[in-house]
Amino acid sequence: MRPNRLLPVAVTLSVVAVAIAAGIFLWDLYMDSPWTRDGRVRAEVIQVAPDVAGAVVEIHVADNQPVARGDVLFVVDRARYELALTRAEASVAALKEQAAQRRREAERRTRLGTSAITVESREQAESAAVQAEAGLRQAEADLASARLNLERTMVRAPVNGYVTNLHLNLGDYVTAGRPAFALVDSDSYYVVGYFEETKIPRIREGDPVSIRLMGRDGEIRGKVAGIARAIVDRDASDGGDLVANVNPTFSWVRLAQRIPVRVALDPLPADLVLSAGMTATVVVEPAAE
Amino acid sequence: MLMLKEIDLFGVFLAPMMLYVVIAGALWLGLRRLLSRFGVYRAVWHPPLFNAALFLILLAGIAAAGYR
Repeated sequence: MRPNRLLPVAVTLSVVAVAIAAGIFLWDLYMDSPWTRDGRVRAEVIQVAPDVAGAVVEIHVADNQPVARGDVLFVVDRARYELALTRAEASVAALKEQAAQRRREAERRTRLGTSAITVESREQAESAAVQAEAGLRQAEADLASARLNLERTMVRAPVNGYVTNLHLNLGDYVTAGRPAFALVDSDSYYVVGYFEETKIPRIREGDPVSIRLMGRDGEIRGKVAGIARAIVDRDASDGGDLVANVNPTFSWVRLAQRIPVRVALDPLPADLVLSAGMTATVVVEPAAE
Repeated sequence: MLMLKEIDLFGVFLAPMMLYVVIAGALWLGLRRLLSRFGVYRAVWHPPLFNAALFLILLAGIAAAGYR
């Protein structure tokens, strides 16, 4: 009867042994394999700023409208820049005439002999002619600059993209260099997965990636484009004298920090509407060794 | 269907492990009933330990099936 008493113990313990192995496998699969719920869709956002100041007189785009590179987005009041162009043209005309006249005068004086005119006077005429020509070149540069300013009153899209959060109205005064609205570069979408540092050793550049967007069935595909090579050290900062300021408290319980991993997207399905900021689950599929 | 993604529970998004635990729990209850009907527990030394081990094996199996 002895085997009959030992058999239940053996069965139970072998099942427990299998369970321990299964537990280790589960831990490895769920905790250490490179996947994260903490992913975001991102895109480059261009802050569109006019190059010249003035009131906005035309807006050619609506909120969320797709635009192609080079499309006119809005137009700044041209009147002042047209006047500046007229003034620059007038200035060029006057200086051209002056330069021609000085040149003729200098040539006439060169032809006269030293008995009729002093060397100094001849030199002065030549110098005046050269100065007038230099002044003309300067006026021509001013004219080109005025033309450029007038052309820049039409603010154009620097990239293909989507206008977003448009709050620009007709009559708003825009200042040169100050952003008027944001343009999302539609060719620049990517996904960032914030992976625990414990998972980073299993991620390699070029590994295929499956991305599951919140609220969308199916996956989109991508590839690991790179792993961020620096994050902020939260336990130290530079003090006032540029010496280290190390946090004296150290916690018993700590969490793995998260490191951004950039994922380049493969061509997207046509029906997919991506917005920068969407939440994604990112699963890296390490290439078979 | 992809299993390794967040579970939408009336707008609250939970870790996929929640789903695995629920599925494993349901299978576990059914399996226990089946095993006791066939008298398997007579051949078991420590039923609670055996049941706990069974649950862990089921959970690992489901997580492995769900990892895609």
